[in-house]
Amino acid sequence: MSLGVLGWRWAALRNGLQDATAYRIEFLFEFLGSAFVPAAVQWIVWYALFQLGGATTVAGMTYVDMIQYTLMSVLFTQIRGGDQDFELQEMIRTGGLSNYLLRPVGVVEFVFIRGLAPKLFIAGFCLVIGFAISLFFPFSALRMLGAMLLALMGNIIHYQLGAALSTVAFYWEEAFAMLMVKNLIVSLLSGEKIPLNLIPEAYSWIWKSTPFYLYVFAPTQFALGRSSITQFAGELLLSLVWVVACWGLIRLTWGLSIKRYLSLGG
Amino acid sequence: MGSLGLLLKPEIQTHNALTDVSFEIEAGSFTGLIGANGAGKTTLLKILSGLIPPSSGEALVLDENPFKRSMSFRRQISLVMGQKAQLWWDLPAVDAFDLLQAIFEIPKKTYQERLTTLTELLDVTRLLNTQIRRLSLGERMKMELIGALLHWPKIIFLDEPTIGLDILAAHKLREFLKVFNHKEKATIILTSHNMDDIERLCSRVIILRAGKTIYDGTPTGLTNEGERRLRVRLMQTPTLAELCQITGLPAERIELQKIGNEEASEKNEGESETPIQPTHDSVLFSIGQEQIVGVLQALMGRVQIIDMGIEQQSLEHVIQKLYSEERASV
Amino acid sequence: MWSTFRRYARIYGVQIKNNFVREAVYRTNFLTSLAVDIVWMVIELSFFSILYANTPVLMGWTKPQVYFFLGIFFASDALFTTFFQRNFWQFSDLVNKGELDILLTKPVHPVFLALSRWINLTNILNFIVGMVIAVRFAPAAGFLGGWHWLTVAAWLAFGVISALLIRFAFSIWVFWTERSWAISRLYYQFFHFASLPDTLFPKMIRYLLLTLVPVAFIGSVPARAILHGLEPSEYALLAGVLTFFFVANGLLWHAGLRRYQSVSS
Repeated sequence: MSLGVLGWRWAALRNGLQDATAYRIEFLFEFLGSAFVPAAVQWIVWYALFQLGGATTVAGMTYVDMIQYTLMSVLFTQIRGGDQDFELQEMIRTGGLSNYLLRPVGVVEFVFIRGLAPKLFIAGFCLVIGFAISLFFPFSALRMLGAMLLALMGNIIHYQLGAALSTVAFYWEEAFAMLMVKNLIVSLLSGEKIPLNLIPEAYSWIWKSTPFYLYVFAPTQFALGRSSITQFAGELLLSLVWVVACWGLIRLTWGLSIKRYLSLGG
Repeated sequence: MGSLGLLLKPEIQTHNALTDVSFEIEAGSFTGLIGANGAGKTTLLKILSGLIPPSSGEALVLDENPFKRSMSFRRQISLVMGQKAQLWWDLPAVDAFDLLQAIFEIPKKTYQERLTTLTELLDVTRLLNTQIRRLSLGERMKMELIGALLHWPKIIFLDEPTIGLDILAAHKLREFLKVFNHKEKATIILTSHNMDDIERLCSRVIILRAGKTIYDGTPTGLTNEGERRLRVRLMQTPTLAELCQITGLPAERIELQKIGNEEASEKNEGESETPIQPTHDSVLFSIGQEQIVGVLQALMGRVQIIDMGIEQQSLEHVIQKLYSEERASV
Repeated sequence: MWSTFRRYARIYGVQIKNNFVREAVYRTNFLTSLAVDIVWMVIELSFFSILYANTPVLMGWTKPQVYFFLGIFFASDALFTTFFQRNFWQFSDLVNKGELDILLTKPVHPVFLALSRWINLTNILNFIVGMVIAVRFAPAAGFLGGWHWLTVAAWLAFGVISALLIRFAFSIWVFWTERSWAISRLYYQFFHFASLPDTLFPKMIRYLLLTLVPVAFIGSVPARAILHGLEPSEYALLAGVLTFFFVANGLLWHAGLRRYQSVSS
């Protein structure tokens, strides 16, 4: 079997998918739970605001706008990074990393690809749902495709940042807290809890200066036709810049800390 | 001290780990429980320590039904599992012992005395304040034992206490158990895969196979039943089938040993009179004393014998044979 | 009775001491976990401040009232985290790796031992943070103060006991499924609902959060009770639901134990 450069990557991808779906019921459980709850929380807030509270527009959005945002954002929330970075820090902490260093594969990439597999599967599934919706509502299927691409870029950035942060485990014994903090911040600034345009203009620089809004908010807005093609192109370009920058960051952090890891006797 | 009686007579069922086991154990004795993986040793220990009920039959420990797990019962027993730790990974042993003192309400003075005695016997006094995770496997097991004995239990169940220990650590642990059993008259029931444990500690051994007792008696009784191992080196080594035909013995009584494998399988080398240069393969016959001459005669008629020796069966070998019979019978 | 109580208190005392020793060794770990919870609080507060940047009142709750609710909710949750959280994380290991065997042979109630092994004392600081938030917004939220602070202690205890009973009901399934984390995660999914005042919810869901999955008992109901008291019928509901959970947990524990015993032979 010689697939050249694809060889182990393909195997890792397949292995990752098998691993995630080995327990099908729980895979489904996990998928539904993580889709349903954030959506329900959002919906409850909008319901209280508009239906019970009697508001007509909030930050220029109607109740229907909000619901549309909620439903669409759920699709992209599913794509945003998994917990592979936690796996990395666990490997560093327990010393399991040493096993991987002996293999002729990049460990950061290997862990990413394994975790990416179920996400790709889900992305395909969400895309089908998106296309189905676009048949009945005035959404463009093409926009849906572009939005999913951006969301996948977001997935990469999310993991890259996590991988860079997990090197903290080389120095502090663990990076669990660091990654949790990152995820908490992402949960607010990615737009999976609320559309980010609810944040007052004076504070908008906060979310605009992180890549997190590219995970959920930007794809959702684009898919719903609320942002222009040029804006989308800019965001896609920006995500590319982030990916490249993060790649450099990983090279730097892992290069430095692996040297330290090895010098301490692995 | 009160006597320990036990009776187990569950009816035969295919799913049960134990089907036909019945015995009584005297207070203050040291009993070994052996059997291949899945023979039902751990199940038996769990029944006796009250963790699981027998599906049928009866168990009586300290004159109580163990499964009721009455407070007084729990205060008088102790269960140590070689593969499950009760000590806390991140804490020094002494802190875990503090907890046990509170749980068993051991008076401060008694507790101190016992702790001193046990740590000195096991030679771990200086390690009391070291985190468990920094201890070696052997040291950790010693601490586990101390924790299990602090309340001076009347019955101690040990499930593979020497698993994973090196020879020296296992030896020390055995010495300690011997002394403790002797001095404190505690009843000890031990399971192990290590035959040294059984040979050196137990005055009685119960062998389980597929949930049934197949042997119950002294460890020496197992090896002294007239069984001998006849080791013969031949000029040309015939095949197993040929050997069967020549001697008229069934195949499982004959064992071919290739050169180079010997050291591993030969435990009693030092005891034989003349050390043999391993230039030829050797054949081992497990036979009764009275058969020796017959087998030798049969062999001499057909092949050229270079050298021979007679050994006593080691316990290890007997057990191995018992286990393989089980495999053959299934 | 009294001697049993004293024995259990003494055991708990040793557990606290042991956990204190552990925390002293792993100080950074505990401080970072503290930091995580503080970030979580900041995120929750920001979420509501964003909402209130767009509306003055949310279902009759003013901004200070919601902050007061959050303070109580954080404090209640911090107490639960301090005394119970980690024990539940370890619960599935306890059963699946058979460590429960050891606990069952000890002359103490196994549930008590299982739930008192891990105590995270550092987390008391988060309780203080929660209380500071509650106190800071109490006057603006219309809290009467004075002796009413005594009711705060009672309602916090109520919140912690509720969380304990609910979490237990979600963990107990570990006896039947090997990978019980899926059900444990479900708890945390429902826990998200606890971070909103229960009056916000549409009737059906709200009913659910007050009966079958009463996560509203953790923070929302106590905050409401402290601010303006409850209807008599609600007191009856609380008592009924908690009793139900207590009894159900007891039955499930015994059934689980039987299952454990039949599997582990």
